[in-house]
Amino acid sequence: MADDLKTPWEYPFEPAAEELIGFADGAIENRPAGIPSSYDRGGSIRWTPESISEIHALSQLGRYQIRGFNTFNKSFPTLDDLVFVPATMTRLPLEGYRESCDTGTVLGDRPGLVEQPLELDIPIYIASMSFGALSAPAKAALGYGASKVGSMTCTGEGGMLEDERRASQTLVYQMTPSRYMLDLEHLRKANAIELVVGQGAKPGTGGLLLGMKVSDRVADMRSLPTGVDQRSTVRHPDFLGADDMQIKIEELREATNYQVPIFLKMGATRPRWDVAIAAKAGVDVIVVDGAEGGTGASPELLMDHTGIPTMSAIPAAREALEDCGKADEVKLVAAGGIRSGADAAKCLALGADAVMVGLGSMIALGCNSPRYLESYQALGTSPGRCHHCHTGLCPVGVATQDPELESRIDVAAASERVARYLTAMTMEISLLAKACGKSSVHNLEKEDLRALSMEASAFTGVKMAGIDKPFTW
Amino acid sequence: MGSKNMAERVEITAGDRPVREINQDIRGQVQAGKPIVVSNTMSRHNLGVGLPAGADILFKGSVGYYCGGLNDGARIHVTRDCGWGVGEAMATGHITVDGYAGMSAGASMLGGSIHVRGNAGPRCGVAMKGGDIIVEGSIGYLSGFMAHAGRIIALGGTDDAAGDSLWGGEVWVDGPIGSLGVDSKIIEPDSVEVESVEALLAQHGLDGSGRDWKKIVSAQRLWHFESRDARAWLMI
Ligand SMILES: Cc1cc2nc3c(=O)[nH]c(=O)nc-3n(C[C@H](O)[C@H](O)[C@H](O)COP(=O)(O)O)c2cc1C
Ligand code: SF4
Repeated sequence: MADDLKTPWEYPFEPAAEELIGFADGAIENRPAGIPSSYDRGGSIRWTPESISEIHALSQLGRYQIRGFNTFNKSFPTLDDLVFVPATMTRLPLEGYRESCDTGTVLGDRPGLVEQPLELDIPIYIASMSFGALSAPAKAALGYGASKVGSMTCTGEGGMLEDERRASQTLVYQMTPSRYMLDLEHLRKANAIELVVGQGAKPGTGGLLLGMKVSDRVADMRSLPTGVDQRSTVRHPDFLGADDMQIKIEELREATNYQVPIFLKMGATRPRWDVAIAAKAGVDVIVVDGAEGGTGASPELLMDHTGIPTMSAIPAAREALEDCGKADEVKLVAAGGIRSGADAAKCLALGADAVMVGLGSMIALGCNSPRYLESYQALGTSPGRCHHCHTGLCPVGVATQDPELESRIDVAAASERVARYLTAMTMEISLLAKACGKSSVHNLEKEDLRALSMEASAFTGVKMAGIDKPFTW
Repeated sequence: MGSKNMAERVEITAGDRPVREINQDIRGQVQAGKPIVVSNTMSRHNLGVGLPAGADILFKGSVGYYCGGLNDGARIHVTRDCGWGVGEAMATGHITVDGYAGMSAGASMLGGSIHVRGNAGPRCGVAMKGGDIIVEGSIGYLSGFMAHAGRIIALGGTDDAAGDSLWGGEVWVDGPIGSLGVDSKIIEPDSVEVESVEALLAQHGLDGSGRDWKKIVSAQRLWHFESRDARAWLMI
């Protein structure tokens, strides 16, 4: 056969010169094959331009990278892989324009243990973001905006900022392992207390605030020397496991005379077990923060390579509460990557009682808004792409402690944007709920959803679109 | 403190009653301005939590976790041992423990003082932000771990990792130091500082003179990541 190839065969014309076959008439010298752009293709799925530049960075710095915002890992599923299946023949929708849908949300309603449960008008509140990570005007605006729509905020790690206490009708006081500014006086000013054992962006590690943001005021509230790179412990100073935590919870109840609910916030890692243990330890509200959750500053690898998606954590957490018989007593809050009312509604349908928004509310304040372009340029970024909260050089004054930059927040205007964002999200949730025939947003359920991908179905147990069966193993 | 005649104290029995009830009784008597003795303490947890100035309580026996936690001015005396986190998050006030203190005595306290006559366990003064802890015996490993401010004074030496990862604050030691913690160093205290420590000890009936003080403070290497240059963090 091969011999056949050798069968002499002659063109009816002069054979072409070898140089011409090699495109020598105008091709790049020394590149005799392929088209020019093929040399620039970079097709390795392992060694992408990003992974190559990562090694260049690591090899120059000799340390991991730290940044703000949230994960860039493209393999995380999004809530866009779920859709609602509104009422059609099997169910009756509510008349959107005249029938109402209840959005009221109560957290910590445990008579006998909590005298003052939190009664919110909407199922959304502002996530715990520390003063330090955020500027004082940003914290105040979040507080005012939330108060206007009957919602609440949470202090975050950095102690209780007066500006925020004044602005927020309802304020959750966070008790992180670093315990900044945590004494009886401040505990008693809080409407709820939140113990933190982890956060979605960086589970298993503690808080982080680079020195650029440790201003005199921040340092004073945290009892730190000004300008240090603040790294917090991840273990609490005076309890280790769940058994000790149970005693701690009792201490907090004693100190606040059983008035306020006690929250526990965790990053989503093994929610099926972690949530059950937390519920048994006696908290009133469990906040599960998925791996897509925002952060002011974290090692980038933790954002990209630790924790499980919010979508998968919620059903696991809900089942955990049911399995351990605590579903009636303990409320579940979900967070991590929630952008819109649609996202929030899906979280409620998957089993959350309320959701918390961090980055979304920052964006409403003005994060990544197309103003002060030269300040974005100085950071090497542009509006829509900024993730530089860790630098303290926030172009729009949200994530900074620089007086000049933070003056770029107009508190009144920013408060109103936060209020409108929360209102719009709530309208979106109730629109979807009514279409699904629900007179309360809390009646949304898994059956109202269908999955567009096998992954989304497998992660959540939601039925596949069309097939009407969940992916099973 | 035992100064107050026992007969002047209102007695509350702890026993196996709900802690909530015991503390309610304590708060009631505090409000009435009465000094209190709590008997049959049975090492119960969370006794005398979050009490105000004016409260004067004697726990006759041992107590469990977080005794005098979140203290806001009370004077508390425990005649035997206490569990984890005695006086944690105290803002002001004073606690005396005649016996031993368990782990994390004075954790994250902001002010006030704790006086332990026996030894104190590991992580004594962890995350503390102010105030004084005086231990007549020795203190366990990781003392002052990530403390911000305040003084820990150990008259009977320390276990390993003394003054570990301090942001600020001081660990004063008379006696042997097991080993120094990460990022800490021993410096020579000046005479004004020594006088102030002696005066503090004197307040608690202790003689501070003629001691071989070693004062441990932060070496400040952990204050900053290796790269102190803020611009280095803009690369990402
Ligand atoms: C700027 C910033 C600061 C934060 N600070 C804290 C904090 O102090 N304590 C904490 O538990 N979580 C903190 N978080 C995490 C949020 O509480 C929340 O879990 C997360 O932002 C939710 O995800 P989302 O941003 O996608 O809504 C912070 C997040 C951001 C964006
Ligand atoms: S605009 Fe400010 S808040 Fe938004 S990502 Fe950039 S630095 Fe962070």
